[in-house]
Amino acid sequence: MTKVRIPTPLRPKTGGKSEVEVQASSIAEMIDSLESAYPGIKERLCDESGEIRRFLNIYLNEEDIRFLEGKETPLKDSDEVSIIPAIAGGK
Amino acid sequence: MLTIPTSIAEEMIAHARKLDPHECCGILGGKDHTVSQHYPITNILANLSEDELGRFDGPKLSDLKQLSPEERADIAFQMDSQEMGKALRDIRDKSISLQAFYHSHTFSPARPSQTDITIAMEFESYREKLNLPEPLHLIISLLDKSSPDIRAYRIVNHESLEIRTILT
Ligand SMILES: [Zn+2]
Repeated sequence: MTKVRIPTPLRPKTGGKSEVEVQASSIAEMIDSLESAYPGIKERLCDESGEIRRFLNIYLNEEDIRFLEGKETPLKDSDEVSIIPAIAGGK
Repeated sequence: MLTIPTSIAEEMIAHARKLDPHECCGILGGKDHTVSQHYPITNILANLSEDELGRFDGPKLSDLKQLSPEERADIAFQMDSQEMGKALRDIRDKSISLQAFYHSHTFSPARPSQTDITIAMEFESYREKLNLPEPLHLIISLLDKSSPDIRAYRIVNHESLEIRTILT
């Protein structure tokens, strides 16, 4: 199982859970497994064309998946994935 | 204390003025509390759809919803995650470290808002997983258009603490 850290803005979709576990062999599969467990989460993660939304980064352990193989990045059992929104703020 | 080369401070002010009335944002890298690299980042807030605003909460969300997408960037910012990822990667490649995130307040003082504090604390909860050092939060106020005010803060335990900045 891969551990996935869920950011605050997405926790309403996971019943408040900040960490969930999924069975997946790639980031793309992980997104689909999350969607089966928590319907509606996929559209919060990906845009209409299936790309990761522009305000989210997905890290495999400490590495941004964009610098690995993107959504095709393979996952191992001991991996930890963190979904992290980019910095924001306001006045 | 945070030391910033005057040239980088001028670049940040120029970035803030260029985007005014929208807020600008960016990242500073360096070593030992001294900034050496400036990464302006796109504020993508004006490009976000209504359902993507779930990122913000409470009063900020209702404020944002009352505005047109264009106007939303006047009161808030959202960094482009791809550019942020690239900047953090470049900082690592250069063997320097993250020093600060910055953004502008185009018509209010250089003090962190409640939204700034909430989101900084949220980032703080992810930061260790990414093996990043604690960043300062820099605000450039254009309240007085002729003399922009740059101030740096530590945001910890839901409170902000001003840190002295030195321009060199
Ligand atoms: Zn702010």
